[in-house]
Amino acid sequence: MEDKVALLDKVKEARRRRIRELWDVFRSNKPAYISMYVLLLLAIASLAGPYIAPLDPYEFDLSKARLPPSLEHPLGTDELGRDMLSRILVGARYTLGIAVLSVITGASIGTLLGLISGYRGGLWDVVIQRVNDVLLAFPTILLAIALVAFLGQGVYSLIIAIAVSSMPVYVRLVRASVLQVVTEDYVLAARMLGLSEWSTMMRHILPNVLAPVVVQLSYHMGLAILIASALGFLGLGVPPPAPEWGAMIGSGKVYIFSNPHIVVIPGFLISITILAFNMVGDGLREALDPKVRALVRRL
Amino acid sequence: MSDVLTVKNLKIYYELPQGVVRAVDDVSFNVREGEILGIAGESGSGKSTLALAITGLLRPPARLVSGTIMFKGVDLTKLSEREWRSIRGRRISIVFQDPNTYLNPVYTAGFQVAEVFEAHRSGITASFLRYVIEIFRRVRIADPERRVHSYPHQLSGGMKQRVLISMAIAEKPDLIVADEPTSALDVTIQAEIIDLMNELRKSLGSSIIFITHDLALLAEISDRIMVMYAGKVVELGDKNTIISEPKHPYTKAILESINYERKSRLKAIRGSIPSLINPPRGCRFHPRCPFAMERCSVEEPRGIIDVKGRIVYCHLYEGGGDGGIKG
Amino acid sequence: MASNLFTYVFFRSLQSFVTFFGALLLFFFIVRILPGDPARLLAGPEASEEDVARIRELLGLNKPIYEQLFSYITGILRGDLGVSLKYGTPVLHEILARLPYTIALALVAEAIAIAIAVPLGVLAALKPRSVIAYLASTLGILGASLPVFWVGLMLIFIFAVELRVLPSSGAESPKHIILPALTLSFFLMGNLTRITRAAVLEALSSNHILTAIAKGLPLNKVLVRHVLRISLIPILTVISLQLGALLGGAIITETVFAWPGIGSLLVDSLFFRDYVLAQGIIMLVVGFFIVLNLLTDIAYALVDPRVREILWRIR
Repeated sequence: MEDKVALLDKVKEARRRRIRELWDVFRSNKPAYISMYVLLLLAIASLAGPYIAPLDPYEFDLSKARLPPSLEHPLGTDELGRDMLSRILVGARYTLGIAVLSVITGASIGTLLGLISGYRGGLWDVVIQRVNDVLLAFPTILLAIALVAFLGQGVYSLIIAIAVSSMPVYVRLVRASVLQVVTEDYVLAARMLGLSEWSTMMRHILPNVLAPVVVQLSYHMGLAILIASALGFLGLGVPPPAPEWGAMIGSGKVYIFSNPHIVVIPGFLISITILAFNMVGDGLREALDPKVRALVRRL
Repeated sequence: MSDVLTVKNLKIYYELPQGVVRAVDDVSFNVREGEILGIAGESGSGKSTLALAITGLLRPPARLVSGTIMFKGVDLTKLSEREWRSIRGRRISIVFQDPNTYLNPVYTAGFQVAEVFEAHRSGITASFLRYVIEIFRRVRIADPERRVHSYPHQLSGGMKQRVLISMAIAEKPDLIVADEPTSALDVTIQAEIIDLMNELRKSLGSSIIFITHDLALLAEISDRIMVMYAGKVVELGDKNTIISEPKHPYTKAILESINYERKSRLKAIRGSIPSLINPPRGCRFHPRCPFAMERCSVEEPRGIIDVKGRIVYCHLYEGGGDGGIKG
Repeated sequence: MASNLFTYVFFRSLQSFVTFFGALLLFFFIVRILPGDPARLLAGPEASEEDVARIRELLGLNKPIYEQLFSYITGILRGDLGVSLKYGTPVLHEILARLPYTIALALVAEAIAIAIAVPLGVLAALKPRSVIAYLASTLGILGASLPVFWVGLMLIFIFAVELRVLPSSGAESPKHIILPALTLSFFLMGNLTRITRAAVLEALSSNHILTAIAKGLPLNKVLVRHVLRISLIPILTVISLQLGALLGGAIITETVFAWPGIGSLLVDSLFFRDYVLAQGIIMLVVGFFIVLNLLTDIAYALVDPRVREILWRIR
């Protein structure tokens, strides 16, 4: 009996050590580490935005339109005289929230479908794969645009559209991983012990296919932000007067000749956000992928 | 009979962030014309590094620190890249261990062997294909006319290894280095490849350095055997002498562990390979040696030759020996 | 070996066909499956009752489903993509008028991207700690992080406003393509540089390089034959994966620069709720995309013989 407890403790200890190791590798990648804090900052901004914004982001005053940065308006005002800083702060939740929610939704559903497709195989596999092919036949941005056009404007349509257009990648990714993992002995062992298919899938296969999913997630967030802001820019995203960063650029673009700050500032922030997600993605990839880790060590 | 290769006091170190790995530390030996010298050692003994050095394939962080490698009057350690090109593949060739990763997947087997000719003669690769077919026949690849057009992934492990061997013998080199050529294959194929190499040695007249961890294999195929441990030579001599009367404790231990003499129990050697960044002082084997004396932890043993011409690096045999060799 | 290639091409083409058919069906059903009246959905929230009725009539939404499906399919096979609700002219006509602009933009952008990114990536891999490598990685990071429409606007600001060197919209002269193409190529360059560098690095560290050198081959031949050709595989992968991004990016870029291609046409048609035009464009783009993917896969099979064995099962 004591042996069993000791063994379990050892397993837990090993797991803790492994996580520590991953964290250390991640931390050693400076850009990734810094980016993580940047994202944290952005997350705080999105949650706290409306509460810390100095002025009302929706209140417009045409007499104060397009003012450059000043003491009263640290980031200037937009084309309708609204305070840019406040708009940026409140808009953070749109940009980040939409991206995070849609990618996580798409990734979850996609992973599940990939698991079923790869593990169950048979008719499930054929059907899911064919449907996936069709979805993949649409360029991602185009799919998102088309879906938004049909679902109408609004935050939720946007989230659904981006989620659906992100999903196929995960189905494919997970399915490939599952096909690889399923040949491993521990899966066979689990089944022989009498584990149900669902349990096997969740407890034994899923953890082992998660690594590439997590890496892909991070990169995907960046892409989702790009799509969300692009749709906002095109006027197909969140309807005005919501201060979504892409939409701010879209409505401000005619003034680029005279008052570029309306366009430059939100665009800069979008870039930083996407950059941060990409750096974190790199860091995660280094930490989780043994092949990449070996290559990096060699350098 | 002259020596094809003479290695003297060779030192090759790897410069890594963790420290300097002394992979080959003051190694000396020779290879005679037409003989098969077997080099035995565990992983980490330095044997693969040696193979790379002899073929000029060492790359940073590996660095040739000191020593000479004389090949037919030429010091290989002093050659430029350009000079190496006329030697590699033509006068010294190498057969690698894993046929799966050492063959380029996008070119046919025939093309890749023909490249050896192309490297040393004028003419395009395709013109050499008929020679390749002949070689394939020689290394006993079935249906050679068809196989020259096969891609590596269409060939079995044994066939792929024969392709690598074909590359090595194409230009009838003076010296062939075989680095664990059978380790990636199953036993039956191993036996075939060994037979093949034996036969080739006779017909080609080349010298072969056969590197492996499997001493039993060497007992079959080699003329002389050299045993390496942790970057150093521990014993070098005639095959029969080494196998039947091993002197060095390490050699003895290996032979016992493979139960070569069919004794009752398998014995493992206790302990593990030392770190090559910080090797033990004195004789590198002393922490695991059942016969270790005080001297062994302080002083590195010199090479002692005995009447049979075998050299052993062990303090046990000093004093009564016939004179020592440094290094 | 030749027969293998043909088998692959045949089955792969078959798969593309099935996929395209699936996409068509998807499009057909998606409007009719969503809750609510399809005609109202298409007309939009601001439409009046008569607009809705008109749309219902025009699109034949009041006819039984199988009749609709039938005319839909036969229409497409005939090349009839319907009549634009806004312009009143055949959709195909509108598309074909503007298609050359998009293709020109895409080709120029992709050409610029490949011409810059691939050599940069190769050099960065060969000389890891040089200025070039630094440049390459910076370009890689920026290209993948800066939103394409913002880059476009910034380029307009720099070149059209401050320097007054290049035109910022429209397509009257050859000069007009420069900024949009640059913008779009920047979008592509980021990833392409990174992947090229990674692919070459991977190829450089592979074992068969040692074999090639051990044969006595001169370094330049080793490089070209054994390093670059193997690197082509991942590079081709990225280029094909980026085709979607290319098309999507083109849509955005055309809007920024008022480039008269089908991308901006699509966005316009969505604004005007010209469902027929939008669908026609999307269908054409998807079909095009599927064909492009097919061609890429075939190119793959030509370069990497291992692919021909896989056929279409693993996909």
